[in-house]
Amino acid sequence: MFKQALIASTMFLTFNALAQSEVPITGNVASKCVITTDTPGVYGQPTTNVLSTNPQDGGVTPIVRYDIIEADAYKAQISYPNAFTSSPVLNDVVNWAGAVEVSEVSNSEMAAFETNKIEWDNVTEFDLTLAGSVWFKIDSIADYGYEKSFPGGIYRASVLAECIAK
Amino acid sequence: MVLLSGYASAHEWTPTYPKLEYSFLNNIMVTKMNLYNNRKDVEYYEVSVYDKDWIPIKFSVGEGKIVHVSYLERKSVDVYIRKKDERRVVYVCSQSKSRVGEKGVTFLSSRICSKIK
Repeated sequence: MFKQALIASTMFLTFNALAQSEVPITGNVASKCVITTDTPGVYGQPTTNVLSTNPQDGGVTPIVRYDIIEADAYKAQISYPNAFTSSPVLNDVVNWAGAVEVSEVSNSEMAAFETNKIEWDNVTEFDLTLAGSVWFKIDSIADYGYEKSFPGGIYRASVLAECIAK
Repeated sequence: MVLLSGYASAHEWTPTYPKLEYSFLNNIMVTKMNLYNNRKDVEYYEVSVYDKDWIPIKFSVGEGKIVHVSYLERKSVDVYIRKKDERRVVYVCSQSKSRVGEKGVTFLSSRICSKIK
């Protein structure tokens, strides 16, 4: 009798411990776009009148990653700089150039983003028709006056990465 | 002569398709947005509202249009819009802001726009 009670109580305790170990986990996957700075950009100076993010010019190409949870919900618009956000006083015109390209994708079908991109002014638009992650690299070149040397100092410029719901 | 900074860090603005609801104020609608800051280099985000042609629409945010969100903080942002603008509102956006002259100024400005449907 005592043994039966002991076995029963042991079974109850074991069952109770098992019941208490069941921790519910809930999650909510919602449509969203996440913009991540993957690699910060740095200007190199191949010649005295040029600042460039091209690695061959001593720069570092900025890379931004977009994480897309739901396909066909967003479009990306990325603008390369067309002005410095801060710089020494400049007395001549700065000529800006740049380009935005898909550099890596998590799904090979995303290569179509590059094929179908639309460009105007300093803006490049990509239709994010597939879910996953895509990395964009942004080239930026600033050319000062007519072969004039940039004055010494710190130069800062900004890339605008946008994710716009469709 | 060089520059620019940043971190592997992210900005989230949800939901993608928010809805306008009646607020506790007469003739004022509200939409509830969520802002998540995973950017070490950013503490402030500016909220903006536009129509379908990207023309700005008047709105109000409880704590101001520039919202302070610390690193890894998630904040609920109530955006108030006049009832008469209800049908015009299309885009509700947040854009990262950097401080002028701050060491390690942000090289990437991120803007995410949700769409009222």
